[in-house]
Amino acid sequence: MDLTARPNPRVTPDNRPFWESCREHVLKLPWCADCDRAFLPPAPVCPSCFGERIDWRAASGRGTVSTFVVVHQPWFPAFADDIPYNAAQVELEEGPRLTSSLVEVANEEIAVGLEVEAVFDDVDDENTLPRFRPRRRG
Amino acid sequence: MDFNPVDRAAIAGIGASRFGRHLPESQLALGAAAFRAALDDAGLERSDVDGLAVNLGWPLGLDYDRIAEAFGLDIRYVNQTWTHGRFVTMALQQAALAVAAGLAEVVACVAVASFTRERDILGGPGDFEGMREEGGTHAENPPYGLTAPAAGAALAYRRYMSLYGATTDALGEVAVTLRSHARRNANAVMRRPMTLTDHRASREVVAPLRLFDCCIVSDGAVVVLVTSAERARDLRKPPVFISGMQGIRAGRDEFIFAPPGLGINQQRPGRVTPRPEDGDAWRMADIERDDIDGLYTYDAFTPLVLFVLERFGFCAPGEAHAFVGGGRIALGGALPVNTSGGLMSEAHVSGWNSIAEIVRQLRGEAGERQMEDARHLQWATMWGDSIVFRR
Ligand SMILES: [Zn+2]
Repeated sequence: MDLTARPNPRVTPDNRPFWESCREHVLKLPWCADCDRAFLPPAPVCPSCFGERIDWRAASGRGTVSTFVVVHQPWFPAFADDIPYNAAQVELEEGPRLTSSLVEVANEEIAVGLEVEAVFDDVDDENTLPRFRPRRRG
Repeated sequence: MDFNPVDRAAIAGIGASRFGRHLPESQLALGAAAFRAALDDAGLERSDVDGLAVNLGWPLGLDYDRIAEAFGLDIRYVNQTWTHGRFVTMALQQAALAVAAGLAEVVACVAVASFTRERDILGGPGDFEGMREEGGTHAENPPYGLTAPAAGAALAYRRYMSLYGATTDALGEVAVTLRSHARRNANAVMRRPMTLTDHRASREVVAPLRLFDCCIVSDGAVVVLVTSAERARDLRKPPVFISGMQGIRAGRDEFIFAPPGLGINQQRPGRVTPRPEDGDAWRMADIERDDIDGLYTYDAFTPLVLFVLERFGFCAPGEAHAFVGGGRIALGGALPVNTSGGLMSEAHVSGWNSIAEIVRQLRGEAGERQMEDARHLQWATMWGDSIVFRR
């Protein structure tokens, strides 16, 4: 493990559809076919009804910032040049909250309630991270 | 079987190593010093200890088998959790239940934390806590550079500020108050005076949290000896009884560093505490919240103090940021909190330093920090577990 590299997502059987769809620049969420509800984090069972009929469906990609932080401490060598950088939780239109980061916005402009939409960052040949940018109106 | 744990177990002895930063002693050496002091405090022999409870194993502290081997113990009961501060209450509860149920006569809760030797585990590439596949348990997410427990407390407090109009000065009130307690404690690591201005001037770590919102990174050990109430009555010091308790909470409304309902991770809105089940420990002890003379909590980050006040209903949701000022959580105030300085200013022995302080206060051994006529003191954490102690 290269400790100076940026950590990549850990792909598991439960979350693989999420990361594979990100590579195709589509944000997909697990939905319970019985409850007709999306949930996160990905799991093979529905947290509401414990059902096993899980579909992966495309989400709108829209949401609002529910909270955010700005990192000043150089914990990761690979992120040192980005300091200060943000990380945020986004409440998706479908309900679940996703941890990500915001782009195309200054850290000082970020606020809880900011309306955002997903964009996709191909960080290397194998990994694409969803990020969010302020939603443009009209 | 009708099994009632109320007042069936008691703390009979406490002991501590010295606390400091970059101490030369190993985890075993710190643990042995605390263990020896606890035995002496209780008037017990090493051979009397037949149980161990541990919440900080390798690499930060010591695993139970290494303790037993190195200290020459003969152990018949063990409880050890994954190495994490959230399990302080659980370790103490399991010790109390074990002696009440006859699984052990004397359980030693052995807490050793050598944070300065192992500081790579607190954020960054060496922080395996944050590497869980769907994000760490404090909402760490390393692909986005989000790491270290502080990040989770910062995420929660940002939302709290937005919902309730709170400011970071409320956090400063907590830091300054706990420092004022440490200044009355000769064993505390951080005793320099701190003002709100100092807090505002400290560097940002993960905004909205500053350096003085984060507990100290220190080394030290505390050992707490738990035995049956009957046996404790015959020992050297007055027993401190375990009168009520409630366990750690988990579920989709729980995030380790945010009260239910705040809206971090998948917490649903409107599920705010206190709910009836948040008062289980008081009901078990047959007291009311108003009977609590002082509150002790896991203050790894200043927001956790606000959140535990709301979780347990000492303040309504959104009110703690106004409550913590005005000396209300200071010694002599309405509800003194962490009277020895806590993790913020005394030492980070995973909260066991505050458990030891509860015992000193209830015995009347707290010196210039002594509260007047304290009868019931409560240990309670942001994540909902608790123990009520009485003398
Ligand atoms: Zn379902």
